[in-house]
Amino acid sequence: MSATEIRITAEPVDQGRCKFLVDRPVTAGLRRFVSPEDAAGSPLAEALFAIPGITEVIASGNMVTVAKDGPAPWQVIGKSVGAAIRQVLASGVAAVAAKTPVSGGSRLSDDALYERVHDLFEQQVNPMVARHGGRVELIDVQDAVVLLRMSGGCQGCGMASVTLRQGIEGALHQSIPEVQGIVDITDHASGANPYFASEKK
Amino acid sequence: MAAARKLGLDLTVASEQPSTLEVLQPEGLLTLDFLDVARAVEQARAFAGRHPIAAALGVDDDTVVLATAINAALGRPANPVSAAIAARDKAIQRERLARAGVPVPRSSLHQLDRSPESVAASTRYPCVIKPLRLSASRGVIRVDDPASFRVAHQRLRAILESCGAATATGQYLVEEFIPGYEVALEGLLVEDRLHVLALFDKPDPLDGPFFEETIYVTPSRHAVAEQAALIQCAAAAARALGLRDGPIHAELRWNEHGPWLIELAARPIGGRCSSVLRFGDGSVSLEQIVVAQAAGVTLPSLERAPGAAGVMMIPVPGAGRLREVRGIAGARAVAGIEDVVITAHRGQELVPWPEGSRYPGFIFARAPLAGEVERALREAHRRLRFRVEPATA
Repeated sequence: MSATEIRITAEPVDQGRCKFLVDRPVTAGLRRFVSPEDAAGSPLAEALFAIPGITEVIASGNMVTVAKDGPAPWQVIGKSVGAAIRQVLASGVAAVAAKTPVSGGSRLSDDALYERVHDLFEQQVNPMVARHGGRVELIDVQDAVVLLRMSGGCQGCGMASVTLRQGIEGALHQSIPEVQGIVDITDHASGANPYFASEKK
Repeated sequence: MAAARKLGLDLTVASEQPSTLEVLQPEGLLTLDFLDVARAVEQARAFAGRHPIAAALGVDDDTVVLATAINAALGRPANPVSAAIAARDKAIQRERLARAGVPVPRSSLHQLDRSPESVAASTRYPCVIKPLRLSASRGVIRVDDPASFRVAHQRLRAILESCGAATATGQYLVEEFIPGYEVALEGLLVEDRLHVLALFDKPDPLDGPFFEETIYVTPSRHAVAEQAALIQCAAAAARALGLRDGPIHAELRWNEHGPWLIELAARPIGGRCSSVLRFGDGSVSLEQIVVAQAAGVTLPSLERAPGAAGVMMIPVPGAGRLREVRGIAGARAVAGIEDVVITAHRGQELVPWPEGSRYPGFIFARAPLAGEVERALREAHRRLRFRVEPATA
């Protein structure tokens, strides 16, 4: 496989986070890495943490979500991220190693948080967003960070970020303060029926 | 939202249609009646009784008026509401600027249901007809002779009727067409003083018949003396409208007679385009500046980050349903291109100007020189391929 044949679409979420949609699966399941030490054994995460400023990598299906600190814009760092993803995938090695189960400690805590977040989504959030034909799916909780995906009317909706940051995030902080953050792994660009169209200009 | 978060400010987002999660997060989400300013002010006042508000900030022409009214009602620092209204309504703006001696196109206000033939007969050509309150040049049409006036009038009437009560004032503006190059000025008023955040060239001629935007590039490559005159014109316009603080976005033209103020809005450049502007060390966004000023916190740097930057609002490739966009990777690979963002979703109906007002996407570029930015934007656009299923009758 040639690296140049791999198509990657970058979708900056904000200054600190960007999603990279790859034209083929990167990994089955979901893995989140929060440090170079975390990344050891996963070539994709290792390559991305080698880029200055990268602080978090989430690989799920054909989506790679990357977080950074520092002022360098995604328009600059994105090229390095894309090159790293292509290089790893072109090499043919498994991009992401399977997660090693952790006994007790944070894994149990993540499981407990998962149940509580799942209940909040199913009992409160989803009945409400369903009024606009939307759905919010809990993908995983890793190190107290909630990973979710939006679909239906929420996917690509012009108000999706408001629903996420002002609605869902606020509800989580109030009801489940142990949650440390939210990561939206939705491919909004592929939304075919957003409830509100995106902005004019 | 990201700007408020970075500044450490709590935010409530108000919209005219209820968020599905408003019941769940009443302090973060609020519904206001955008069509009834007085009612919206009372709704905001009631909200402020439960959750104190430091400032209200509008993000488009209509919500700027509303936010100004809310700030005034709550005793927060604000422009006069009359100034916000003048910035929103093209007829009021023209009259006020002309009275103050700001160079503006000659214009006349007409009732939509008045016979277009009678208006056409008394109009000088070329002219431009436009609605009073739509944005993004929707409904703005150049007319070169009386025979074309009726057709243009019919199109404008249909556009306004499709918008409904919110924008159908029953009137429209006819103004002289001003030839010359056009620029866009992004500024921040701070206690009556205009700080220019960016002066964008629009290198494509905007001669009509419709006025869909294409490329914005900064810094300007026009003569320094002309830039200075254009800036002075924008500052004079802001003063004439009574605006003292806050962001402004002004469209101006230059020809052998000097600068002309085409339009001034009391808000920043809209939506995605603002990301082309970075300030200070490059980490400060336009939104951070605007939110910081509104909230009364220390302003970050107002100096644009070094280098040239630009954005192309991708032209609508044709009327119909968008089926596919190809070439995005190739467009992104062009040197200087920072990003290509397709905002239209598959299956979305694309509507060309003047009936439309939504671009299918945006291209962003950054380079040492403005000429390099412009070339990059054009090359990136050239590499995109849109597949549009034509609209059927």
